[in-house]
Amino acid sequence: MDRVFLEISNVSKTFPGVKALDNVRFDIRPGEVHALVGENGAGKSTLIKILSGVQPPDEGAKILIEGKETQFAHPIDAIKKGISVIYQDFALFTNLTVAENIGINETIEQKKKVVSWRAIQKKAKDALDFLNVQIDPNAIVENLSVAKQQMVAIASAVAQDAKMIIMDEPTSALSRGEVERLYEIIDLLKEKNMAIMFVSHKMDELFRVSDRFTVFRDGQYVGTTDADKITEEELIAMMVGRKIEVKRYANLEEKGEVVLRVENLSKKGNFKDISFELHAGEVVGFTGLVGAGRSEVAQAIFGISPADSGVVRVGDEEVHIANPAQALEKGIAYIPESRQTQGLVLPKTIADNITLPLLRTFANKLGIINREKQMSAVDEWIKMLDVRPNDPTMLAMQLSGGNQQKVVLAKWISTKARILIVDEPTNGVDIGAKDEIHKILRQLAKDGTAVMVISSELPEILSVSDRIVVMRRGRITAQMDNDAVTQEAIMQKALV
Amino acid sequence: MQKVWKNLTKSKEISILAIIVVLAVCITIVNPNFLTVSNFFDIMRSNSIYGIMALGMLPVLISGGIDLSVSSTITLCAVVMGKFLQANPGSNIVVAILLCMVVGALAGLVNGLLVTKFHIPPIVATLGTQTIVMAAVLFYTNGMWISGMPDWFLSFGDIQFGAIPSAGKVVGMPIQILFLILVGIATWLILKYTLMGRGIYAVGGNVQSATRVGYNVSRVTTFVYIYSGTLAGLAAVTDILIVKQIDPNTFSGCELDVIAIAVLGGASVMGGIGTVFGTFLGIILMAVIKNGLVLVRVSSYWQKVVMGIIILVTISVDVINRRIEKARLVHVDVEE
Repeated sequence: MDRVFLEISNVSKTFPGVKALDNVRFDIRPGEVHALVGENGAGKSTLIKILSGVQPPDEGAKILIEGKETQFAHPIDAIKKGISVIYQDFALFTNLTVAENIGINETIEQKKKVVSWRAIQKKAKDALDFLNVQIDPNAIVENLSVAKQQMVAIASAVAQDAKMIIMDEPTSALSRGEVERLYEIIDLLKEKNMAIMFVSHKMDELFRVSDRFTVFRDGQYVGTTDADKITEEELIAMMVGRKIEVKRYANLEEKGEVVLRVENLSKKGNFKDISFELHAGEVVGFTGLVGAGRSEVAQAIFGISPADSGVVRVGDEEVHIANPAQALEKGIAYIPESRQTQGLVLPKTIADNITLPLLRTFANKLGIINREKQMSAVDEWIKMLDVRPNDPTMLAMQLSGGNQQKVVLAKWISTKARILIVDEPTNGVDIGAKDEIHKILRQLAKDGTAVMVISSELPEILSVSDRIVVMRRGRITAQMDNDAVTQEAIMQKALV
Repeated sequence: MQKVWKNLTKSKEISILAIIVVLAVCITIVNPNFLTVSNFFDIMRSNSIYGIMALGMLPVLISGGIDLSVSSTITLCAVVMGKFLQANPGSNIVVAILLCMVVGALAGLVNGLLVTKFHIPPIVATLGTQTIVMAAVLFYTNGMWISGMPDWFLSFGDIQFGAIPSAGKVVGMPIQILFLILVGIATWLILKYTLMGRGIYAVGGNVQSATRVGYNVSRVTTFVYIYSGTLAGLAAVTDILIVKQIDPNTFSGCELDVIAIAVLGGASVMGGIGTVFGTFLGIILMAVIKNGLVLVRVSSYWQKVVMGIIILVTISVDVINRRIEKARLVHVDVEE
């Protein structure tokens, strides 16, 4: 039992401007569930990519498999070394049968030209029997439930003689009963001496399945501990335990009238009984895990995918917003998370992007745009938000992430919305730009806008918010003023 | 009832078969000449050209691509063969067929390289080669017909197999239909029993995963275009064996009919899905619509309308089904 299957050390991964992993280590033994724990952005996904051969680590990393030093040049190398990943989307061929998904790998590996369906069927049946699951090998994967697709993915790893299975947030799409079934499978795999790296941030399941925890924070290794020697609170403290003092901009006094009131908003399969208020002049931070339903609430308010029931009031008026155009008319703007695909026209200039929602105001009666007027407005925005380089003719795709985000902000702020919803505003933005964006959001609030910030990063939430709303599994679990709130308290509400 | 309907719409082959049966019954009631062996051989013979090309299009569509250049490839091959036979009247049928298929394969190879090496989207790459090749062939031939094929060649096209009494005559199965059947069997074997064939489905289903499990995506992609070109070459032979001369203008625009057959037969333009059986049904359906509507004296313009409606209905059912599936998979687990 003490034999180590995989041992890594000195693993770093640098992306332009960001150090995603900084000198981390990790080891796992056969027959052990070793959970990798950390907040969003702690570096868990990056490590998975390295271990699965999708991305190479920086120079100097040491990866030992069964005591032998190895490198992965291609995903297939990792699989051959016995490491399989169950991705969140399972990475299956949904157009093909269960049997082929499980059993074809051997044929590929042996570079056979002709396919033996009998061999594939047998391989699939063996793997499914091994896991003791009842799935028709001839079913098309597309027609299976999510839980069954996951079993197929696990069976496929088993069929490839995996010695270590990495499960990335394996329960995120499962119902309660299905989660129990997954636990049983994990126990079974353990019994059969499989090493399982379990990636999650749900406390209950971490303690249910894990033998050991390793905690990452901000790309750094924090520590490894046996599961029975630590409490939930202690684990959370390890995850968030930053000693860096966050700048808090909160101002609890100057609150204006209520501009947005949401009552019992529900949408099947997305969120339930959401009630909150936004006041003019305040920033409200929405936090929780990815997938808690925060963005879905915002998109319902903004009319992208309206809610099933509940009431939304803008000021005193009850509104029924069915599409984003109506939302804009009511003074609500929404800046989505993936600014590249949803917020910006990348091959267009900064100027064009900023003035896109406003073009009409620069046009004369014939619809011809007054270029001078447009450019002077653009210059003003660039100066105000400090977009760098400050050249309005630059294409949006040439800017850094932080400056792209400023352009998106400018674009929507210029519509003079009374209510501004921003989703993960500093995702992929460097530290300096982050602080500037926070200042912009605070300034907007000071000028009377009600700002709703959705973010998974607790320091960010603590930094910009006057009030904090925590969501978990589609519901609001806490609303608190940002004065004496600690990260631990928020995590408790988000996780447990 | 709802479940029956769901299963029916899910199995596209069944619904296409049903459409064929309904059409055949209707047409036969109006004109009993429709449902005879001799008429069936007749319409299948003339549609074998499109059928062979559709069987070449099928792997392309399954891999998630599209080949708009089959029309120019078949024209190129036909003209090359016509000129070759005029210059070498003493050649033989094997050389003629191989020549066509090699020329077609080379045209397909160019498409494959454009898509894999230069990363040009298939629709653009094959549109480009189609335009260039078609224009070059028309320039070279001046759009003039090529005739005067050797006798041994023409008589090969009249070979029939078996003797079945039908409507007072004795008919055999024309060799062109044999071509179609052989190509069908070959395509089925490739798709079902070779790793290349499974790779085609894998690439069309999920390129990222296909790379991950070790399929050579470039090789698979190149193969499907070569295969499509090769079969367009064989279709050129089949065509000349029927009409006995070469009209360089006749196939302009035929790629849409070819794609229509494959799509009618259940191949998904989004990739990953399609069968040889379905494509055969597509061929029969196309043949029935074309011939049947003529027999019941419906204007030839209406044939296209009927085709279009059937394509739209079958595809939108498919697209809607897929969207419902997708929506079912993405959700937040709300605590009740």
